[in-house]
Amino acid sequence: MAALAAVAMIGAGLAGCSSGGRTKLVFAFNKREAVPFMQQVVDDYNKSQDKVNVVMDTSGLNSTAAGFVRGAPADLLLANFNNQAARYVNQCAVTDLSDTDAAKRVRPDVKALVDGVGKCPGRTSAVPYSIMAAGVIYNKDIFAKYNLQVPKTYDQLLSVSKTLKSNGVAPFFGTFYDGWTVSQGWFDYAAGGSLDLKSFFQSIEKDGANVGPNSSVSYEKDFLEPMNKMMTLAKDYTNPDANSKIYGDGNTAMANGKAAMYLQGPWAFSEISKTNPKANLGTFPLPMTDNPKDLKTAVNVDLGAMIPEQSKHQAEARDFMNYLFQPKIINAYNASQLGFGPLKDSAPETDPRVAGLRPYYEKGKIYAGPSYVIPQAIPIPQLAQSIVLGADPKDVLSTIDADWARFARRQ
Amino acid sequence: MSAQSITPAASNAKPKKIRARMERVNWPATIILAVCSLTVLIPLYVTVSMAFKTTKQAVDGNAFSLPNPVSVDGFKQAWTMTKTPVGAGISVLITAGVVFLVIFLAAFLSYSIVRNWDHRFFRYSFFYVLAAMFIPFPVVALPQISLTGRLHLDNPFGVIILASMFQLAFSVLLFTTFLRSIPNELEESAQIDGASTWQTFRKIVFPLLAPMSATVGIFAFLYAWNDFMMPSLIISDATLQSLPVRQNIFQSQFSNNYNVSFASYLMAMAPAIIAYIFTQRWVMSGVTQGAVKG
Repeated sequence: MAALAAVAMIGAGLAGCSSGGRTKLVFAFNKREAVPFMQQVVDDYNKSQDKVNVVMDTSGLNSTAAGFVRGAPADLLLANFNNQAARYVNQCAVTDLSDTDAAKRVRPDVKALVDGVGKCPGRTSAVPYSIMAAGVIYNKDIFAKYNLQVPKTYDQLLSVSKTLKSNGVAPFFGTFYDGWTVSQGWFDYAAGGSLDLKSFFQSIEKDGANVGPNSSVSYEKDFLEPMNKMMTLAKDYTNPDANSKIYGDGNTAMANGKAAMYLQGPWAFSEISKTNPKANLGTFPLPMTDNPKDLKTAVNVDLGAMIPEQSKHQAEARDFMNYLFQPKIINAYNASQLGFGPLKDSAPETDPRVAGLRPYYEKGKIYAGPSYVIPQAIPIPQLAQSIVLGADPKDVLSTIDADWARFARRQ
Repeated sequence: MSAQSITPAASNAKPKKIRARMERVNWPATIILAVCSLTVLIPLYVTVSMAFKTTKQAVDGNAFSLPNPVSVDGFKQAWTMTKTPVGAGISVLITAGVVFLVIFLAAFLSYSIVRNWDHRFFRYSFFYVLAAMFIPFPVVALPQISLTGRLHLDNPFGVIILASMFQLAFSVLLFTTFLRSIPNELEESAQIDGASTWQTFRKIVFPLLAPMSATVGIFAFLYAWNDFMMPSLIISDATLQSLPVRQNIFQSQFSNNYNVSFASYLMAMAPAIIAYIFTQRWVMSGVTQGAVKG
């Protein structure tokens, strides 16, 4: 105990002397896999000038939220831009960044994507830093072994699956025990591959509280066909133990070539490479229609930069933000995380594992997954999971409709 | 139970007979307890074996396999990623502060309440303090965050104060129950000899409370050492974060580093286990004394 107490004194001493005269800028960053990369960037920045000392805070979303409550949030957030982060934007708790150089370089269709998640009227509140494009991860060696081509239509996908199944290979690896893997993969790709989600969400948002069995658009009506197609794949063409498998199992199975296809985003590659760094993998968008022109890739804003209004170091935060958005750094970051650059001048992603999705991202054939767009008050992961575990899709979709209408009434 | 069945008369009997009586084991209870102990031992085994695995082996889906090859890489990474010395130092500071504050404040409060039970003020203040047992921290988290922020207590000291307050209710309950079993005559004799209230407390009552103080201290230790929620919300400066909050970085939805996280958990568990090994005699006696006499 005495030794630990001594360590405590040393620790407190170290913590105390790190800021000497420089302005302390708190930079909240919670993407675990990228912490070493970002730490290097922060260290380089601190060395490059002597006015500001950037401190990276990786304590998590709780601490970030607590900072807002306390009135002293981090000075710059680089956060996963999901529904939770979007609340800071919707409440206009973050500043307008439209006059920054970075905001002017953002691709217009990516900007629309960001606005779809959260928006404060008249402001550019969040500037995207990294986009994740997600689709089907497939094992190139297995495809080559059975002489299979990447499917471009739903029928081709079915025939590929049939060939694999008849050869004793599980076509898809399902990890249905983890609800989020079902909503992020199966549910989102099935809906996004079939529908024009942009116009769907525009009309269903207009209908709001009136959404139901008789409205012109509804989940029950528009999502039913995609869900039935999804169930054909999930029921007949997955590993038999899919219901009891979790995300980690899926990564290990894909690394060991236990299945040919896997519905996950690029974040799974770093996990897969822990088991087998040499796995020969590629990606393609999940085809859900009979027209190859309908192929689109699911995207989400993995990181967005925001500067809270309550920050007392606006100018310094902007300066560091500009530093982060330099082509050299943002391109290196996206290359290291298999992300796609959101800027007009972003370097193309060259990793062969995500190359299959690159043309779709570059041509703007992208959609935001419904599970990211639908408010978190409606538990899509659990509802999507109940569909793949055997609930009637029609019942579940009408539940989503009812929840949607109730949510709209209460807004 | 079986130990009590040996009568004092047995000491005169032949040694053979004693052995025969002592070997009477309550098998059903032993088996149930042995199975129950697995609920602790299995996770502990997984923690230790995971900590020594390589990253590749840690994600292969066999939690029960032995580490092969044995690797201390997880410990090295965990040590630097969480800055374990600093984090453990802050955790020690918070824990020591909470244990100290809780034992003394709860003992003072319980003594004054028990000896003034006739006064309505003390009786009601007892119920008031006890009511805090029914308010979990998450319920009052938001006002507490803004309050500590305004008072510049958004640091480990704020956590010490708040955690002590939340731990006070249960500790007062334990102390008051125990204090009621201490005969008043002891204090009266001290007072007859001219001791003041403070002297009576310090020289007579507090030493008698020792077993219960150990129990209260251990509960406070475990709570403060393991708490995640409160430090994560109250402490604003990431460099002053406690160890459990720093460990949060090991796991996210998309990524698992089992070997690194379990190595770090093992390092964080060590002080609690060591503290328990040294104090378990008092824990057990304290708990049973409180339970039987209450």
